[in-house]
Amino acid sequence: MSENGFEPKIIGFLCRWCSYPGADLAGTSRIKYPPNMIPIRVMCSGRVSPEMVLRAFRAGADGVLVMGCHIGDCHYSSGNHRTIKRVPLLRNLLGYAGINPDRLRLAWVSAAEAPRFVKVTTEFTETVRELGPLSQEVAHQEVAHQEVRE
Amino acid sequence: MIEEPVLSLVEGIRKVVAERLEESDGVVALRRSSEGVAPHVFRKGDDLSELEIAPRYPLMTVVSKLHKAFPDIRLGIVARGCDERAFIEMAKREQIDPDRLFIIGFACTEEEAQECHCSAPAPQNLLVGTAPPPGPPNPVVEKYDEMTIDERRAFWQRQFVKCLKCYGCRNICPECFCEACAMEDAAWVEPGLLAPPFPVFHLIRAMHMASRCVACRQCELVCPAHIPLTVLYDLMRRDMETLLGYVPGTDMDAPPPLSVTLEEAPLRVAVEA
Repeated sequence: MSENGFEPKIIGFLCRWCSYPGADLAGTSRIKYPPNMIPIRVMCSGRVSPEMVLRAFRAGADGVLVMGCHIGDCHYSSGNHRTIKRVPLLRNLLGYAGINPDRLRLAWVSAAEAPRFVKVTTEFTETVRELGPLSQEVAHQEVAHQEVRE
Repeated sequence: MIEEPVLSLVEGIRKVVAERLEESDGVVALRRSSEGVAPHVFRKGDDLSELEIAPRYPLMTVVSKLHKAFPDIRLGIVARGCDERAFIEMAKREQIDPDRLFIIGFACTEEEAQECHCSAPAPQNLLVGTAPPPGPPNPVVEKYDEMTIDERRAFWQRQFVKCLKCYGCRNICPECFCEACAMEDAAWVEPGLLAPPFPVFHLIRAMHMASRCVACRQCELVCPAHIPLTVLYDLMRRDMETLLGYVPGTDMDAPPPLSVTLEEAPLRVAVEA
């Protein structure tokens, strides 16, 4: 736990073929990782639309982690090709709108890479912990509401 | 020797339309009537003195509807640079049949180019008028990278809070043609909130525009709340060019890069993953 007691909420979108089994392997191998990340299994990282990521932030996530197969290993050949183009654009867009882009991360994790899964999840949890709650950033909207109404 | 009378821009367009009406079922353009100016399909025998070129209107949306409703018709269109760019992106996504449309391109005025911050104020297929110099870049976009993340957030939240959720930006957009819109889907944007929820509503649209926005500025022109949406979309256009070398509306042969593989549309910048 951090000094201020903030535990970040993180939504992870894990692909069904590589990253979710990778997380599973970390579990069955008894490797510890932070419990902050709530995994959501998707069929492919290419399925993770910008709507899904933005909705996660809207619903209270402080960070979103997208994990999929390495390029070349996608079960659908090129599903993750879409992901690797989409995520950097979305990161930039978050930055333009005033949400720290480091709250969104893309990582390739294969089904055999349990240690890598643990490393990425741990690092990302620490990053988001340092950034603090997203509600601090988005709460400004309520302030702006008030100002305009007044 | 008889001198050719000097034609104004709109007169020049009327002349070309009159010539080319013969080879089509109609030409889409704006028409002035007692009720104002509106899109119209000019056909043989119509009074072309009613043809107008202002105000700016995304006429390609009209062509798209006509092409879908009448699978055999062949049309012409009076088009600005942005109309032609919209055509290119719509044709790629099968919203317009390029084999059934010809473009009568004309150049915008210098004032219009400046007002729109337009980098390409004339179509590639320019038949009438001369291309003015490009407009200056949007000053907000120019200095955007210097703004801190807090300044950016403050800027947009003061803008987005004005949103009336009228969907005007989407409805006028020539590149917004999905039958089911994510901005109206309760799974992504919870209904009943005004201003619409952040970050979902506006950022979903911005992300969807990334590979499509042709910088016609119609969204901003129709917005009743005067939200400077093109600042966000211009930034996304800039990123598309940096990341994927893609400028929407310029190349009919370039596939929509976000929908195809890395082989078909490679990244220009290394992405950490």
